[in-house]
Amino acid sequence: MNTNNNVYTIVYTTVVCVLVAAVLAFASQKLKPMQEANEKAETISQILTAAQFAEKDELGAWGNAKVIEFFKDNINKAVLVNAQGEIVKSLDTKKAEVWGTSQLKAQKYGFPEGKYEIPVYIFNNGVSVLPVYGQGLWGPVWGYIALGGDLKTIVGAYFDHASETPGLGGKIKDDPSFRAQFVGKSIDLEKAKAFEIVKGGAPQGQSNAIDAISGATMTSNGLSGAINEWLDAYKNYIEAQNN
Amino acid sequence: MSKFKDTILNPIFKGNPITVLILGICSSLAVTVELKGACVMALSVTIVTAVSSFICSLLRKTIPNRVRIIIQLVVVAMMVILVDQVLKAFAYAIDKQLSVYIGLIITNCIVMGRIEAFALGNKPIPSLLDGLANGLGYGLILIIVAFFRELFGSGTLFGIPVLSAIGYTNNGLMILPPMALILLGCVVWAQRSIDKSLQE
Repeated sequence: MNTNNNVYTIVYTTVVCVLVAAVLAFASQKLKPMQEANEKAETISQILTAAQFAEKDELGAWGNAKVIEFFKDNINKAVLVNAQGEIVKSLDTKKAEVWGTSQLKAQKYGFPEGKYEIPVYIFNNGVSVLPVYGQGLWGPVWGYIALGGDLKTIVGAYFDHASETPGLGGKIKDDPSFRAQFVGKSIDLEKAKAFEIVKGGAPQGQSNAIDAISGATMTSNGLSGAINEWLDAYKNYIEAQNN
Repeated sequence: MSKFKDTILNPIFKGNPITVLILGICSSLAVTVELKGACVMALSVTIVTAVSSFICSLLRKTIPNRVRIIIQLVVVAMMVILVDQVLKAFAYAIDKQLSVYIGLIITNCIVMGRIEAFALGNKPIPSLLDGLANGLGYGLILIIVAFFRELFGSGTLFGIPVLSAIGYTNNGLMILPPMALILLGCVVWAQRSIDKSLQE
């Protein structure tokens, strides 16, 4: 058979593409529930790590079921708050419902004028965890910041990224000493920047600033932007809670 | 029978895709920080190479010559996506660690190279074995490099403390890609001093 004529070539490639597409669609359908469960457990373990319940690697070793069980045992409530700082909705903690699993990679949430609803996870020990999302150098960066009962002191943080440079920007996730800097610092909503990541080192005694990662200016700036944008969005909620 | 034996053994030592053909260097530098990641990567590449060689060999008489590279790419891409999806479902942490490198298997010259050079001219079963053997040859080097990098870089093997348990200070250079290149060079050197016929 002449396999080089045009009709044969077009029909052949079409058939191959359709078959491959069918195989991939089928695989995606079948594996989706498991992938989503993994993603959810990952989100929850990032929240738990930020709140200093355990280290991320330990949680990974626990397995999905135990992580979710632990989250259910320790969470007090999870709520969505709006721009005015009012609680508008509760997430179902019995089902370990989390916000943002599907928006995990949302580079810019955008905060539509006064219309957003963003989550606060409040644990039994009084710690509140807030998410942040932003744009790093190569792709999205995101993470969780855990605030103490006064909603001012930072008790912990965890960050992740999609494609920052390993060894440089990747340190926001991989370097425990970067994350450790957050512990004991505080946010200051009175200032233009509630929290700062300072290139060249944070000034001594400034309680709302930490050192940036050398060699990773764009990632540090992106993370700093994400933190400030999100803390700003939570400003009304934090003030309402403290009054 | 000796032809079969040759198909399997040749890519593992004398025609090793990494150390003799110098293919697939990029990914072998990137994923050899830890043994666990290296093993999963080796397994993934082996599966992708073997199955896509097999499929392309089955189709070899029907593929229109003018679009053969595209057809091969479609088959390889399908396998890579399948592997990625399966890892995401069953080994999420490892998939996250290997991140883009699983997707980049498609650009690994070993996969396309074996299909072009072997699978298109041979029957399905030898092609499957050839793909399998090349994947294993690739994996073997990956594991050798990862063994040294993890042992001296983090003091662990498969995450279990070995050197760090006896008070070894981790060598940060081992974790960075330049050291992987140097180690890879050492492996090439060792192999060529064992087998003089490989020297140029």
